[in-house]
Amino acid sequence: MEIKGDAQWSTAVSGHEDNEQPVVFRKAVPFTLTLLPYSRWLAVAALLEWLISRTLTRAAIHIPKTPALITGYQALNTVGQVAAAFVTLLAVFLLVWLAWHEWQHQDERLRPLLLIGRVILSLAFLFIIPSHELLLLHHLLTLAILASFTLTYLQTRPLPAISARLVYLLAVTTLFIGVIYQMLPVWYTVLHLPGPSPLTGTLFNLGEGLVLLSVAGLWWVYGRAAAWRTWFIALLPTLFFILLYGRDPAMTGILVIWSTGLSLYLPWVLYAAALCLAVVTLLTGWRKNPPVAIALALLAAAGYAPQMSSQLFCAFVALWWLARPQTAPSHPLPQP
Amino acid sequence: MMTRSRLILLILLGAAALLTFWKIPLASSQGVTVVATEISDSLPVADLDSPLWQQATAVEVPLSAQIVARPFLTETNIKSVTIRALYNNEQIAFRVEWADATEDSSTVRIQDFRDAVALQFPLAEGEPFYCMGQEGGDVNIWHWKADWQADLVARQDVDTAYPNMDVDFYPFADETAGKAAGVADYKDTNYVTALAAGNLLASVSLASPVEDLIAGGFGSLTSQPVEMQNVQGYGAWSEGMWRVVFIRELETSEGDDVRFVNGVVYPMAVAAWDGTNEERNGQKSTSQWISLHLGENAVAPVTAGAETSAAADAATTATTRSTSNINTLEALPYIFVPMILVFLSMLAFMGGVFLLSKLPGKK
Repeated sequence: MEIKGDAQWSTAVSGHEDNEQPVVFRKAVPFTLTLLPYSRWLAVAALLEWLISRTLTRAAIHIPKTPALITGYQALNTVGQVAAAFVTLLAVFLLVWLAWHEWQHQDERLRPLLLIGRVILSLAFLFIIPSHELLLLHHLLTLAILASFTLTYLQTRPLPAISARLVYLLAVTTLFIGVIYQMLPVWYTVLHLPGPSPLTGTLFNLGEGLVLLSVAGLWWVYGRAAAWRTWFIALLPTLFFILLYGRDPAMTGILVIWSTGLSLYLPWVLYAAALCLAVVTLLTGWRKNPPVAIALALLAAAGYAPQMSSQLFCAFVALWWLARPQTAPSHPLPQP
Repeated sequence: MMTRSRLILLILLGAAALLTFWKIPLASSQGVTVVATEISDSLPVADLDSPLWQQATAVEVPLSAQIVARPFLTETNIKSVTIRALYNNEQIAFRVEWADATEDSSTVRIQDFRDAVALQFPLAEGEPFYCMGQEGGDVNIWHWKADWQADLVARQDVDTAYPNMDVDFYPFADETAGKAAGVADYKDTNYVTALAAGNLLASVSLASPVEDLIAGGFGSLTSQPVEMQNVQGYGAWSEGMWRVVFIRELETSEGDDVRFVNGVVYPMAVAAWDGTNEERNGQKSTSQWISLHLGENAVAPVTAGAETSAAADAATTATTRSTSNINTLEALPYIFVPMILVFLSMLAFMGGVFLLSKLPGKK
């Protein structure tokens, strides 16, 4: 599947003279290009699974059900389930590959172990019921992986622009908060405390606010150069959301929380704006900066406080792409 | 042209299709988990303040924010619910709490809507997501209604809302003229067709404030027959808070009921309705899927004056108390110490990761 701009981008990153780039960058280039098609497929499949399984098929509960519609939605649901299984398999494949590559070719030791451990635990939980302590370990491993990605990113040389660093930290913090929100009840259970933790609601709302800020930040760093056509296309889903919300805010709220994990507690205008900016950034990146588009698509599919392990794996792959030196604005791509 | 990457992707796609056909799940749930604590006592149904409830860890679950477009409704909005669960060797109980400024327990007038809360459990295994069911993937829904709760005390009818109403005559009802006849006043159910058809809404007296429903695909929400309504419940509103308990046998012989087995994780979802906001049917606040896990035995309470069970002789590792009965300062260690421990452990992890990343690795 060719994407416009891929050839330009790959030439740009591989066209530098070897002695002008740091060692890590030279070694990373072939591997990054190798991973690109798989990541693209993962992003597309994750978006499909998100839009079909978690959004469209659930919208069916709100519309009149004719036999033809029911048949159509059953078929759509099957496609969504296949996409979900494909996303899980591909995400696990990519994470294991990433871990192997970092172990073999780079200085990383801990993150490969954390990633493999996290994948093994998630697969094990399909067969065994986790004890509370195992669940806690499961969440702590996730936090450690997020921390590891952040540390690696901040150690990238040359250092990315401060705006890119802030956006990366925003995205990681959002995921961090989502995991902590899920971890707190487990922690309380292990400590045999009645709970609930008094900060649960505040934490969840804070994280949801950061989701919107992250989207705005990603647009500011990677999507500001969008053409007017891109804005026009992005307005279509935004208008759809606005019309849907105006028609039935309850139904829209249900769809959004099941689809993305967001509760719409902030004014709806902010969510509409975030949706518009996300689409603009995605479309802009698809042409000019595929890793950013892939990362944004995977983060969108992962949702807030990811419910399934496959969604979290997508978020890990997204963070890996966002942390690549080729993604950073300090390495502007030469224009034809 | 078939490249290596395309071949690998096609193999993975084929594997995904096969695994979907065989209904083999690949992704494990990692959302919020409600751990049902096992106790040896009878489950507290009507006693909402029972210390036994403190043995279960409560989980706060955010709901989709519902602000129905009314210019005069800005305060009542169910943003989250708190859930905790207990079980013994026979039954399982859930206590759900949420903030609601007003008690709406009457639906007699057409402009009145009830407060309600519902729990949803998928019936099929091995598939991660459901929303109101799908073909081959039924869900079991327990729907507590505030007006049904009020009806258990005294059946509400039109004359409850309009006490000065008068009627001429209700044919076939054994009631003197001038008074509204209730369902119970009809000796022959042939003249109360809804009752004869088994409609729960027309029941002479409700056995439970909870309706046991099943949904198996779009547009198929169905109330289970009267003889299969086996979920009990109790709810009370006080000082801006609803507290509702659902209770049912762990195991049932009915195919349309969820069965709870120790050692299994169940997806669960919550929905709540605020009557003041005119919420009903699909106009509600709902949560994402959360997980229910029937966990281990509770730690026996040591508080003086609290109930003690036979397990109270066992070594205890924590003292549990009803947080509503203790001074705020006393509660601080039980609230903030764990929070501090969580953040310290996170900092320790990050520091460890940073230090270990500095170790020389394989070149």
